[in-house]
Amino acid sequence: MAESLLPEAFADLAPWAGWALEPERARTAKKVASSMEELRAFYDALMPRLEAIIAHLDGLPAGDRPAPAHRLYLLTLSLVEVANLVELYRQREGIEACDPLHFDPQH
Amino acid sequence: MKTVLREKQWAEKYPDLGTAPVPVEPYVSDEHHALERELIFRRAWINVGRVDEIPNAGDYFVRDIAICSVSVLVIRGRDGVVRAFHNVCSHRGNLLALDERGSCPGSLYCHFHNWIYSDTGELIRVPDEENFFDLDKGALGLTPVTMDIWEGFVFVNLAPEPAETLRAYLGGVADQLDGCPFHEMALMQTYKVDERANWKVALDAQNEIYHLPFQHRRIVGESFVMNDRGHCRFQDVNLYNRHSVWSCENNRSRTLTPLESLVFAEENGVRAVRIPQMIGEFDFFVIFPNLVLLLFEVGNATSYISYNFWPLAVNRTVWEIRMHFREPRGMRERLQQEYFKCIIRDALQEDAFAHENIHAGLASGAKSHVILQDEEAPIRYFHKVLEDHVGFYRNG
Repeated sequence: MAESLLPEAFADLAPWAGWALEPERARTAKKVASSMEELRAFYDALMPRLEAIIAHLDGLPAGDRPAPAHRLYLLTLSLVEVANLVELYRQREGIEACDPLHFDPQH
Repeated sequence: MKTVLREKQWAEKYPDLGTAPVPVEPYVSDEHHALERELIFRRAWINVGRVDEIPNAGDYFVRDIAICSVSVLVIRGRDGVVRAFHNVCSHRGNLLALDERGSCPGSLYCHFHNWIYSDTGELIRVPDEENFFDLDKGALGLTPVTMDIWEGFVFVNLAPEPAETLRAYLGGVADQLDGCPFHEMALMQTYKVDERANWKVALDAQNEIYHLPFQHRRIVGESFVMNDRGHCRFQDVNLYNRHSVWSCENNRSRTLTPLESLVFAEENGVRAVRIPQMIGEFDFFVIFPNLVLLLFEVGNATSYISYNFWPLAVNRTVWEIRMHFREPRGMRERLQQEYFKCIIRDALQEDAFAHENIHAGLASGAKSHVILQDEEAPIRYFHKVLEDHVGFYRNG
């Protein structure tokens, strides 16, 4: 049987598994390539589950998570990645900043 | 609240700084840039990295100090000692280590003719040695670069004979930060930002908080204590022998975002355990010429960011940003760190955008001076120190 993408309790988040990306530059690239509607939908799907995700991941050793739990962890990092755009800027128009990919993360 | 909200307090604290406009030439003049090369970057103590980057024998990193056309190899020998050398082979001058970092258990070899050096810098093997003339291998080790370490930060000095020790050079800033547990905060992310701007345009833009409620109005503009008209005030400004620090208090009446409220939920009412070396809740140390150490608190833990501003040309800089955090205790702390990393990064992307516009404006020649207000006093001090070193206007 194929391994599930995410831990069983979070199977409902499977449509968002494409955000389980690393390293940071991959998450930034997906943010840059997504529409505001897509970012908001991802944010809206993750936010109500974040407390449960934190509790779930805290129950596992951080250095040795099974692949589905690691994907879940990466989803939380992607949530943080998109949060400023969704919560604070709210729209791309009028942002006076360099291309996010111009910041070259080394790790 | 420790912050005093009144106007013009830093000019009062440091009357020798004056209040005059600051000239534009140092940002855009080739002649000034050449003087910076000779009188600052070839003489000052320059931070090139941290010992944590090379924990094991044979680990090394290479730092190009482009303004001086110098490539420095910092390597930990099998004896555990960290040394710095010119990254240049003794044979025909080829650059030795070609990667930015790596590990060479035991020895380094030159890719040109396989001359081999030990991890303590001695020349240990020369292929076809018999065919050379009077070759004295003992005298042909790597050329040392003067280096010293303070609190894990590796500094080099390119002067043939440095005018003072690293400790004396750091002076009051070292007195303030001695014992700060930098080694407990691990490097989480490094960003390299290639900018079409003078290195001082980039540094100066970070060295004040007047711009926060304007340029950063959408994301971090309300982070620090402000007066009733929405203008930021430092909690304190301290000037040392060529270095400086400004300190701020966090704005506790700021509205948290939904994500922030969620990941910082357990911090409500809990005061951070502050390390005693901190002055405010956000301390911005400028270590002349091109290093910034920025200490702040994430949840209950002290963290720090370092900036190194590397001039490539009068109008080009690499801004290197390194973010360091303590080992997170659980997911919530891990997300707090990620939150800080992303929000600071995104604010700095606004800064990077501005740096190039500012440089373009300065380079246009439209203005001969820039005007500084009292909360921009650290910039005024930096330019005073700069001129003390360069003497661009001294003999004019």
